[in-house]
Amino acid sequence: MRIPRGELRRSRVVDDAAAVLRAVLDEELTGYVVFEPQDALLLGETTRGVVTFEDGIPVLAYDTEREVGGRDGLEGFAVTGPTRAAVHAVDAAALADAHEVEAFRIPPGEPARVLAGDERLAEQTVDAAPAARREEGRDQSAVEAFLDDTDAIEEIRSEAREEARARASEWGLDDVLADDAGDSAAIEPGTDSR
Amino acid sequence: MVEAFAVASGKGGTGKTTSTLALGMALAEDYDVTVIDADTGMANLLFHAGLDDADVTLHDLLVDERDAAVSDAVYERFGMSVVPCGTSLAAFEAADPGRLRDVVAELAADTDVLLLDSPAALGSKSAVLPVVLADRIVVVLQPTVPSLSDGLKVQEYAHSYGTDTAGVVFNRVQPDENVDRIAEQAGRYFGGQTLASVPESDAVRAARREGKPLLAHAPDDPAADAFREAAARLDVRDGDGRDVAERFKSAVVPERI
Repeated sequence: MRIPRGELRRSRVVDDAAAVLRAVLDEELTGYVVFEPQDALLLGETTRGVVTFEDGIPVLAYDTEREVGGRDGLEGFAVTGPTRAAVHAVDAAALADAHEVEAFRIPPGEPARVLAGDERLAEQTVDAAPAARREEGRDQSAVEAFLDDTDAIEEIRSEAREEARARASEWGLDDVLADDAGDSAAIEPGTDSR
Repeated sequence: MVEAFAVASGKGGTGKTTSTLALGMALAEDYDVTVIDADTGMANLLFHAGLDDADVTLHDLLVDERDAAVSDAVYERFGMSVVPCGTSLAAFEAADPGRLRDVVAELAADTDVLLLDSPAALGSKSAVLPVVLADRIVVVLQPTVPSLSDGLKVQEYAHSYGTDTAGVVFNRVQPDENVDRIAEQAGRYFGGQTLASVPESDAVRAARREGKPLLAHAPDDPAADAFREAAARLDVRDGDGRDVAERFKSAVVPERI
């Protein structure tokens, strides 16, 4: 996947990918945004993905770490919490070749929906898209595929359990932790004294 | 007192406050319901319940030097007792969220069902406290990957504190979405049951503008019907009021949150 290097317009950490997508839509950017979720960074992992735009409308998504494109690629960097977003402008002609990679294309509303969970912005984006692109509808396969991936879900759950226990300890809430919460034997159970 | 529910989502924008008030109004048909805006950092409920000009709010009950009685912050609205939270950042900073436990204990003594509108975050003690204090959570989700992912996280936090899942509400569902399949898949991971699939509705925004809960503003809207269905499916459990109040009192809550 080759995207021509663009001119960096701005790069900042934002709380929500929606703000960036909205700004890009408003300014009708032709170029790309590199998203780097900061939570993953804290865990020592690199998660990074690129979304390209034509006149503010998303065209392609690509997970640069896993080298996966399209909707699956988008999900790779759909991490909640603060994300660094670097906005680059590229000449439309220079992007034309990359935009022909059919497998990496995404429906216009998909980044708002998957990266930010912002249905309204997704609709606004679809409304602003050229007629031909508006037909690339929302389908549920991404959500269904996510829910089918039992290993990935178990990972989310066990990470959340560990995080909850670590924070309980940090906040002095150890005493109200349930005895049987979590299945990690390495964690010493607290007593349920609620 | 029968049961305390935290209405939680982990992610903003799922319509948690709308859901809390809608479930509250529907449950108020059969129960004495008290709704508390436990999102002390980002008060929202007062705007939804026409209480923008409330003199005394939950914040006043959480500040040491203010001599407000709990009953001063309780407003009878739309068939429910509503305890709004104020919007002043200074009041939030002066508030001692540890006192939330005592406030909840006092309110619990005089009501059947307590609904805690919980913060859309898990990053601080005050954000997690409603989930710690509640008997069970109601998870409000949108059928999207980030929302489901955050809902799973909230549920794990709740379970860590022995708080079970009463059920899941799919909210803001688009007309072309068939949530049945997603609900069936999600049911493998979420406890309780799928309480309802609530369609996206313009009436929700209009209700918010008018400062009324959805069920008061547009009782015949399909979204209102879905929330009533959710409330009917919620199996509110009988409990001993004294036990519950006692539990809140004994919950270990640190001094500073």
